[in-house]
Amino acid sequence: MKPVITTEALTKQYGSKAVVNCLDLSVPAGSIYGFLGPNGAGKSTTIKLLLGLVKPNSGSIKLLGREINEKNRLSILSQTGSLIESPAYYGHLSGFENLQIICTLKNVPETEIYRVLKIVRMEGQKDKKVREYSLGMKQRLGLAAALLGNPGLLLLDEPTNGLDPAGIQEIRELICSLPNRYGMTVLVSSHLLSEMDQMATHVGIIDKGQLIFQDSLAVLHEHSRLQLLLKTDNDDRALQILKRSEISAEQKGGKLYLRSAEDSLVIKAVSVLAASGVGVLRLSEQQMSLEDIFLHLTGRQVSL
Amino acid sequence: MKSLFIRQLYAERQKGRKKHLSLLPLCFLLFQVLWALWQLTHAAPEELETGYLLLFHHLPLMNTILLPMLAAVIASRLCDMEIKGDTLKLLYTMQKPAQLFHCKFLMGLKYLFYFTMGQGLLILGAGKICRFTDPLKWTMLAEHMAVTFTVSAVLLAIQQTLSLLSASQLLPLAAGLVGCFLGLFSLFFPTPIARLFIWGYYAAFPAASTDWERDSKIVRYFEVPFPMTGFLLFLGTVFIIYLLCKTLTVRKEV
Repeated sequence: MKPVITTEALTKQYGSKAVVNCLDLSVPAGSIYGFLGPNGAGKSTTIKLLLGLVKPNSGSIKLLGREINEKNRLSILSQTGSLIESPAYYGHLSGFENLQIICTLKNVPETEIYRVLKIVRMEGQKDKKVREYSLGMKQRLGLAAALLGNPGLLLLDEPTNGLDPAGIQEIRELICSLPNRYGMTVLVSSHLLSEMDQMATHVGIIDKGQLIFQDSLAVLHEHSRLQLLLKTDNDDRALQILKRSEISAEQKGGKLYLRSAEDSLVIKAVSVLAASGVGVLRLSEQQMSLEDIFLHLTGRQVSL
Repeated sequence: MKSLFIRQLYAERQKGRKKHLSLLPLCFLLFQVLWALWQLTHAAPEELETGYLLLFHHLPLMNTILLPMLAAVIASRLCDMEIKGDTLKLLYTMQKPAQLFHCKFLMGLKYLFYFTMGQGLLILGAGKICRFTDPLKWTMLAEHMAVTFTVSAVLLAIQQTLSLLSASQLLPLAAGLVGCFLGLFSLFFPTPIARLFIWGYYAAFPAASTDWERDSKIVRYFEVPFPMTGFLLFLGTVFIIYLLCKTLTVRKEV
């Protein structure tokens, strides 16, 4: 698939701190690209860089096959929709009137409003003032605004932030339907790996401004290899013995794990422990969670 | 098909719905009408003989007190909706920041224009109702209105910049209030120092001045020539200040 977003060595620094550091993004056409990372990793800044809201210190950005610069920025962005951080709205106006303003600026006929309101299921609330909307409704209105003009590319920054579980599910289903129903490519950022697992076809993981993983979700899951939980009568001693025997093991949350479930390694580990007088009580297979994958990739424990 | 700039201006109009912004110049004007009524009903008959000159002398002082606040409130009302609704990051994907600045400024100018025209009508109406005997010089009226509008416009640009750069509208409104006082106090400063305070420029190009006779205690109003060169220099400064304000706003990342 031809990439819709490509960045090369994209860098943004504030003072001496690189918030985005040599980022090489490649978002395939028709994909839902989950842009993942803990809070403060540089996701929002990257999206703002893509939209030209923040100027990069170095690097280049290609959107929809064209290299973006100050002259063509608005022309390229006219084929994109975006929802950045919190929803943007005029509280004193109704949802319909808010969308009218976007139609005027995007030069889109107002008949489009009914179409996008139907997509986000907000026809019933269109005449209510937006300041009276719940956060979920504001978020859906923001999404409706992004969909005006049927853009080929959607950039959504944490669109489920602050929503209740039902709202999250609704937005998730909506995003999932966009590539097939409207041929859109969606880049959606989140700090929740589990959310991406249910939505994305491709994943990019950013940490401290650097892209540490980028591929399809299937490839990410390949990192989710098996590990073995080892229960002994003395885990601390067992760990020392395994390390001495150069068998890859670790202790997490007070539990002892063998990093590989390879047969020969398991046989070797059990034999070594038995020979050293450590009693092996239990051996059980465990799948790595996405949090574990992140830990594996970054070497850091984060709350995802 | 409307051009991009016209569409952006139209969008500003759409945003202003239900804000009732036209009431702002009307309220300030109403206050001036009441003040003019009080002033003129208490004026001596010989003062009414130079009634237009009296107004051309007093109204700039009144404008110095009121209009910095009007500019601050208009700018705040126009920009607050963007700050409160966090809309700049969305708008800047559809329009250039500089164009948003120009459109907002033009919208604000519209209300200042209403006020200036209203003040012109106030002068004409006062002349008819209070039967001023001196003839109205249309050039004086035009000069007075040009000064009122231009000084208000530059204050609007400053206030708009503050309003777009501030997370809360308290600071820009406080700046407007401080501007009122600075403008008023600057009238008592030596001229070179007074010229440093843009808020006091309403009275910097007076169409009329006064002469007070100590013995008879009579105030006499007389026409003074309009300082056209000074005004043209001021227009140049206004343009530079506007560009600076625009640059400051555009440079801010959202």
